[in-house]
Amino acid sequence: MRTPRALRPLTESLATVALGLVAGGLLIWAFGHSPVAAYRALAVGAFGTREDLLETLAFATPLMLTALTFAVGVRAGLFNIGAEGQMYLGAVGATFVAGMVPMPAGVHLAAATLAGMAAGALWALIPAVLKAWRGAHEVISTIMCNWIALHLSMYLAINFLAEPGRAERTVPALPTARYPVLSEESTLTAVLFVAVGFALVVYAYLWGTRAGYELRLAGENPDAARYAGVRPERVVVLSFVIGGLAAGLAGASQVIGRPPAWSLYATLGNVTTLGFDGIGVALVGRNHPVGGILAAVLFGALAQGGRLMEYEVGVLSELVRALNGIIVFAMAVPELWTLVRRRLAR
Amino acid sequence: MREQAPRVQMRGIHKVYPDGTAALKGVDFHVQTGEIVALLGENGAGKTTLMKVLSGLLRPTRGEIFVDGRPVLFRNPSDALRCGIGMVHQVFTLVPPFTALQNILLGQEGTGALRPLPEASARARVHALLEEVGLEVPLDVPVESLPVGVQQRVEICKTLYRGTSVLILDEPTSALTPVEVDEFFRFLRRLRDRGAAIVLITHKLREVLEVSDRVVVLRQGLVVGELPTSSATAEKLAELMVGQLTALRVHRTPRAPGEPVLSVRGLTVRNDQGRVAVRDLSFDVREGEILGVAGVEGNGQSELVQALTGLRQPESGEVYLEGERVPFVEPLALYRRGLAHVPEDKARFGLALGFDLVENSILGRQREPQFVRRLGRLNRPVILRYAQELVRRFHVVAPDLATPVRSLSGGNQQRLLVGREISKEPRLVVAMHPTRGLDVASTLYIRELLVQMRDAGKAVLLVSADLDEVLELSDRIAVMYAGQFVGLGPADQFRRETVGLLMGGVVPAGDADAARAPSPH
Repeated sequence: MRTPRALRPLTESLATVALGLVAGGLLIWAFGHSPVAAYRALAVGAFGTREDLLETLAFATPLMLTALTFAVGVRAGLFNIGAEGQMYLGAVGATFVAGMVPMPAGVHLAAATLAGMAAGALWALIPAVLKAWRGAHEVISTIMCNWIALHLSMYLAINFLAEPGRAERTVPALPTARYPVLSEESTLTAVLFVAVGFALVVYAYLWGTRAGYELRLAGENPDAARYAGVRPERVVVLSFVIGGLAAGLAGASQVIGRPPAWSLYATLGNVTTLGFDGIGVALVGRNHPVGGILAAVLFGALAQGGRLMEYEVGVLSELVRALNGIIVFAMAVPELWTLVRRRLAR
Repeated sequence: MREQAPRVQMRGIHKVYPDGTAALKGVDFHVQTGEIVALLGENGAGKTTLMKVLSGLLRPTRGEIFVDGRPVLFRNPSDALRCGIGMVHQVFTLVPPFTALQNILLGQEGTGALRPLPEASARARVHALLEEVGLEVPLDVPVESLPVGVQQRVEICKTLYRGTSVLILDEPTSALTPVEVDEFFRFLRRLRDRGAAIVLITHKLREVLEVSDRVVVLRQGLVVGELPTSSATAEKLAELMVGQLTALRVHRTPRAPGEPVLSVRGLTVRNDQGRVAVRDLSFDVREGEILGVAGVEGNGQSELVQALTGLRQPESGEVYLEGERVPFVEPLALYRRGLAHVPEDKARFGLALGFDLVENSILGRQREPQFVRRLGRLNRPVILRYAQELVRRFHVVAPDLATPVRSLSGGNQQRLLVGREISKEPRLVVAMHPTRGLDVASTLYIRELLVQMRDAGKAVLLVSADLDEVLELSDRIAVMYAGQFVGLGPADQFRRETVGLLMGGVVPAGDADAARAPSPH
């Protein structure tokens, strides 16, 4: 069943990324830098050495998960932008079990990971229930839940999880609850494999099971889903729970899977915006779990390589963020093009 | 009468849609100042397309339009409005939370995106207009809280306020109660007497006879009749509208029907607007028969089918499948008991256009044990083989099974859908507009499949706006009008003209044996 058609989203995404890079190059040029030199620095910074590559993957790890949150929502016809808040609570849940509940090695790591995922999923249940049984629009409720999660997490981090004598962060994860570091020169840990594994499991679930089929059917055509006997409430809850698990894992990965802090900052500084960044990653990855992994590596490369670009060429780090945005915008081009063509065909 | 160019004249209008459908095949049409012209025809005859061309919404493929004798070219509805031509559509274009006054002023010349609506200055003018034409509209109430009949007045007022003197109305009475209709007609006559030219798109014979001065009958994109209303009769118009049987013939042998498979008792269903769409309806469909429900669309057919197939909660009544009462709004339970459903809008209900043929082949069947393995995993090999079987058996033309069904032709989409439903080995087939928009070969094939189902002893409920289809396939025929069956009987008791009259809401005199049910009024 592998046909060129299945690869078309990939080629389209690559084309738009290229388009975004060209547009970003113009921006860099407009600020008086050489785009060629800048992009060379970017590429070298992201992929130049083994450590750079591993660091790129470390940046990519949480993004592929928060992208998954958004992607599963879209596949079910929902606009779940609550990954940010679900991720905060995932980080809190993982911190609590990893830092304050001693357990034997092995079990502890798994328990901390699952605690993070469960906390994210529980937080996602709020907008899910509001949507499924009260009809509250998920965009509104997830935005509100993000703010509540922010302040709730800071409150919990400062009042219940804080390390005595160190106000700026929570207790660190006990050594039994830390993912093994893969290389001393980078912050990449084995949590990468858990993230990729989870994304692949979700992929298999969505495309290989009856429940996944019904979820995608509800997103593709709600009326046809009704015709097929799919209950919309079930789909809403299911997609939010899967998304919450992914976002919770993303939060946990930054606490128990990312040196050197091994803890959550009281300001949540080491996790903020990862949830929102995931939306852009999901769009570039065409709301596909595997596409999300690839797009996360791209965005990880921009984050990691951007450092060298700033250091070597003097391109402001804000321009790197702008580049992210331009690439996401460029994703709209194919859609825009079909729209224009349809308009002309009237 | 003075020799004068008509207010509006259309000559040799052709319209071919991008998908190749020829909606208009050379239509001449004109309307004079001070007359009401009824544009009559069945669904799909081209009435609305013709008027969309006149109002600038569609560009004709060929043909000319003259306004007051001068040739014009409309690029958009604003161009038509500048010539005084305005259309009120079946689906209103009002902004629900805005007041009537705001809606009337919206998009007016002299207003802009950044300027506030000139409500104060325009209020007097709107009032004067309303008074002049005798319409009553509460100007300061959000239109969403107004009844549909009043919303329609707002829509008309909006059009008139832009200086429209050629008013096109698309099925204006479909949303109105009988009392509202009478009032509406008085308003139309007043407007005509003030010198407006009015085109009334309709399929209701009674309305044509009651309010129009002249009738133009369209069928399959051609004008098949034009006559002054004074010399028209309901019988004559019905005959023009429905025409003769086309050459599409399906071989059908007589067959004695058996026990009832579907029994409907006292079914009442409301539509999305909360109006009663199906009123206290009772009937049976027996094994080995096709019960054909004819009728102009919008008389409750959609709601009836949706209630029977688990898509809509009825207000009251009971439905039995093979003697067992079935639950409402549980499609899967109905499928398990032997329902196959070919829905009225295949792209909306029956298929997921973005999914490929394989995934569409199990839509609605995704929970059947044969397709699911342990842990809820889909049984890919079995599903693939089943999809191949469907494609082969029902002659679906597709590049390969991984093609999204969006890129199949309508005929092939419907073959896949009907094939899927029929291969369920159902007891009851409910099919609505099963051949709408299909090419001749697919139409014939789908009809043959329905007859095969009947011959195999299934009960078939066929609901169609295509009168030919109903007359040709059915063992018994019912005509639906205003939520009820105004006629129900063996097919051979129905003459074509009789059905045409019943569809138009006229119960023919002396045909009371065929039209057993009482008139809805």
